[in-house]
Amino acid sequence: MLKVENLCASVGDKQILKGINLEVKAGEVHAIMGPNGSGKSTLASVLAGNEKFTVTDGKVEYEGENLLELNVEERSRKGLFLGFQYPVEIPGVTMANFMKIAVNEQRKAQGLEPLTAAEYLKLMREKSAIVELDPKLTSRAVNEGFSGGEKKKNEIFQMAMLNPKLAILDETDSGLDIDALRIVATGVTRLKREDNATVVITHYQRLLDYIVPDYVHVLYKGRIIYTGDKSLALKLEKEGYDWLINDYKEE
Amino acid sequence: MSEKIVSELQARPVLEPRIGSGCWSVDLAKGEAITLERDAHADMVLTGAGHEGGALCLTLEPYSRLNIVELVDQEGATTDLRISLLEGAECSVTQVVTASSNLRVEASLDGRFARFELGGAFILSANERGTVQVDVRHNVADCSSRTTFKGVASQSAVGKFSGLVYVAPDAQRTDSEQLSRNITLGEARIETLPQLEIYADDVKCSHGATVGQMNDEAVLYMRQRGLSLATAKRLQIEGFVSDVVLRSSTELCREAFIEALESKLEKL
Repeated sequence: MLKVENLCASVGDKQILKGINLEVKAGEVHAIMGPNGSGKSTLASVLAGNEKFTVTDGKVEYEGENLLELNVEERSRKGLFLGFQYPVEIPGVTMANFMKIAVNEQRKAQGLEPLTAAEYLKLMREKSAIVELDPKLTSRAVNEGFSGGEKKKNEIFQMAMLNPKLAILDETDSGLDIDALRIVATGVTRLKREDNATVVITHYQRLLDYIVPDYVHVLYKGRIIYTGDKSLALKLEKEGYDWLINDYKEE
Repeated sequence: MSEKIVSELQARPVLEPRIGSGCWSVDLAKGEAITLERDAHADMVLTGAGHEGGALCLTLEPYSRLNIVELVDQEGATTDLRISLLEGAECSVTQVVTASSNLRVEASLDGRFARFELGGAFILSANERGTVQVDVRHNVADCSSRTTFKGVASQSAVGKFSGLVYVAPDAQRTDSEQLSRNITLGEARIETLPQLEIYADDVKCSHGATVGQMNDEAVLYMRQRGLSLATAKRLQIEGFVSDVVLRSSTELCREAFIEALESKLEKL
């Protein structure tokens, strides 16, 4: 589904990604961990197509296409979803209206008719239940005045609405209390299928108790320096990153 | 303006200089003086923003309530509204501007416990020019006023807001708020000049003015959900002015407002 080869990216003069290699297949869950400033969020942003970053080298293939040639919205319509670490507030734009446009844009790209009002309401009700999102929130402005937990639930609600092939969740667990974490993680798990894939970026092992990864990657200074299975996350939780970083010599 | 609303209103034109409760349509081009009777509750839709530029002078007798809505969508329109509020009178004005125009509103709070409220938005594109001048005069004690005007200018449009809140020496316990919030796109310019002139010492007056750009992060966020750049920008502007356009007092004109707003947003 996703094949990243030697991906290098910079912002301004600063090189952040220095040769990422990563392959994600349908049905898989990948976790990306690593100390602060290692480039995790940059990787997510670059894959989503954020123009603030310049890709300086490497290739990204997504569903057989050159992902780097597509702009942000084209990637989204082709089923790539990014759960934002800091969901943005959009005053005056209701969640319901925003998602309706988003869902119909995606349907248009797939050659489908827009949903009728009744179909849309049904979809919204169904999907908001997955993350136990208060249905009242959908009539409020996007993320405006939402609590930290509501914002993150709202990200997963949108993910459910858009039904992506590849979801990249950038620290969706940060700032969540235990209950919200369980709800968000259970939501993600319920959306998992054989034909989609999830990449979760996280600092904490506890999220991986719910979202069990097939692979755990450690990102450090713009490179994936180690890949293991779910036991790696447990080891990192206990021992930190030092043992890995010490092994790793920057070229 | 929605034809349905206009025809419905024009069926009962205002001719009398004194009006009571009801829903009235007033042709600004004529320049009139109208008094709203004591205790009356009326709605007023202003049409035909005058090219002649005559002022519409309104007097609100004690405890009357007037709700005014106006859509300014004719190139080169001028509106001059002068409102005098007597004791306990309340007036709410909503103005939505989508063309080059010159707006002036003067509200005089002449009786105690009078309340004035203005919500407005201008959206300008191409090389349109729009000016808005709002004077709120607190002449006596215990009155309150709220002014919120939002401006959007794109391409090489120029918008200007000047707002004055005047508080007379005896107008103690005045409660006034004035807010001018603006977004510019591209080369467009917006000037905002909020002014306070206060001669009383026991007052609560606040004012604020901002001129900013689109929020790029919000645009990115919307694009990540599949909205095109143009749609994302349009939605953000729609959201920015929606609290003015959709506030409850605009019920009468809402359809017309939304229609005008949507066709304008296409042109930004």
